Amino acid sequence: MKSIIGLFLVLAILVIIPIVDYAFAAGDEPGHYVDRRVVIWNLFYRMMTVAFTVGAVVSGTIIWLCWRFRESHPKATPTPYEKEGVW
Amino acid sequence: MVLELQKPRPIWQIMFSTHHTDVGLMYIITSVAFLFMGGVLALLIRAELFFPGSQIIADSMTFNRIFTVHGTTMIFLFLLPFAAGVGNYFVPIMIRYKDMAYPKLNAIAFWMIPPAATLIWLGFADFTWYATPPYSIISAPGPAADMWIFGLKILGVSSVLGAINFIVTILKCKHPDMSIGQVPLLAWSFLTSSLIVLVAIPTFAAALLMLLTDRLGVSGFFNPAKGGDPIAYQHLFWFTFHPEVYVLVIPAIGMMYEIIPRFSRKPIFSHSSGIFAFVLLSMVSFSSWAHHMYATGMSFTEKTVFMIGTLAAVPASAMHVFNFIATMWNGRIKFATPMMWAVGGIALFFSAGAGGVVNAAMPLDFQTHDSYWVVGHFHLFVMGTIAFGSIGFLYFMFPYVTGRMYNERMGQAHFVLSFVGTVLVFFTQHVLGLYGMPRRVFDYPPIPEWIAMNQIATVGSMVIGVGMAIFLINMIYSAGKGKISDTDDPFNLGGKYYWPYEAKNPHH
Repeated sequence: MKSIIGLFLVLAILVIIPIVDYAFAAGDEPGHYVDRRVVIWNLFYRMMTVAFTVGAVVSGTIIWLCWRFRESHPKATPTPYEKEGVW
Repeated sequence: MVLELQKPRPIWQIMFSTHHTDVGLMYIITSVAFLFMGGVLALLIRAELFFPGSQIIADSMTFNRIFTVHGTTMIFLFLLPFAAGVGNYFVPIMIRYKDMAYPKLNAIAFWMIPPAATLIWLGFADFTWYATPPYSIISAPGPAADMWIFGLKILGVSSVLGAINFIVTILKCKHPDMSIGQVPLLAWSFLTSSLIVLVAIPTFAAALLMLLTDRLGVSGFFNPAKGGDPIAYQHLFWFTFHPEVYVLVIPAIGMMYEIIPRFSRKPIFSHSSGIFAFVLLSMVSFSSWAHHMYATGMSFTEKTVFMIGTLAAVPASAMHVFNFIATMWNGRIKFATPMMWAVGGIALFFSAGAGGVVNAAMPLDFQTHDSYWVVGHFHLFVMGTIAFGSIGFLYFMFPYVTGRMYNERMGQAHFVLSFVGTVLVFFTQHVLGLYGMPRRVFDYPPIPEWIAMNQIATVGSMVIGVGMAIFLINMIYSAGKGKISDTDDPFNLGGKYYWPYEAKNPHH
């Protein structure tokens, strides 16, 4: 459990700090408006890229899982837990 | 487990019962009835939008009334009561207690729903399920709006009573041998969502009172003519109803946690990470409400804070998806109807979540604000994830409750039609929003792309409607004449699940 929390915190810091950095670096002054638009769209395109890439990987994994581990698959074998009878 | 239909009792005995299984079943049956009533309204909306111009609904006011009651019914009278019903039925069994902590309070919470629903349906208000001011204060017609406000007020009290009951039952009445970490994830989902309800609902309760006094003319909290601020209502509303999304989705994920290990013939990959993700989701649910309001003139810094708050839900959601995938990995998966709904729900949960992440980015939010993108996005969550998890669980619990098996082929046909229909309607609505079609419109200009996509969406809704008709027939027929099922292992999966807890508990 501790390792999961530790891993999560590291990942969260890695993701959040650059976003905060970009957002606040843009500032609120009117003169920086154009820069801010560029930065935001840049962030948006990167998020889109990440979302679609991760989406493709996760969806592909789910489809493969359903195909490979269905009980009618030729290589399907009973799980170790079935022998114990409780899961 | 109580086999309701094999030991028939007079209806009044069930109606006046305070036993958790009776109250749970009344919640579930009532909520499914409202699913069909709200669904009919959805079909009317989609039929009207099949072509530009007026088709079957006479005027825009009637159209507004229909989508207002559709939204209110689906959220407050189907999804919330359904989750409460499942919780009532199973939480005491899972924590090995004789009943809910406060059985009478439990029955009172349920019996608040019929009068509230009557007020909402007889009133048939027209100001959207947000009751957005200043329209709801200045122009919304007569008793309809007031009836909606009173109806929601009653439902809010019912939710809070239910939440208190769940929290006390789980924390104080669980079996002494069972540590809080051993409590099943479905019960954990009710614990965390109840905590959200307890924190979130009072804000909306206050907002409703302020709205009512504004309508009566004795105050002007949200009335610009009296120096009030309609945006303040939006803050109060979304402070309650963004977390409310998690109140709906967390129990649906909990239901998937029951189905997926059982049909994968493996234990859950990580019970503790499921708990952690539920707790995390319940906390971050309060950090993102203003992402609904980027277009209201908030400062750049505020928008940035809420964008990050919105994105904070991603790690917790991803933990659940990872947990599901890791549980199925190396399993021997039986794709019976409940498992199909659960896996379909995960896939659509991920799609809806990815859309939400993209939408959380401010630039796109300005483009899509109040467009059909938003309609597609939240329906993909509400129908694709929450309703899929709920309906899957309804199939899962059916043999345990009735002692009879539903028709498997009809269940699978229901899933396929609903999945195809959901994709057709709600993915198309995302694109329709990017093409600029605003939401909540009775009519639209005859732009060829808009017509084509509206027609695809309408056909998709009809496909879902056919699936739901099959579902209704299946449930009614199978409850009376379905094959007698083995309540220890109705799905023929082998092994023993933890349902037989009641074997150690003489009260069940």
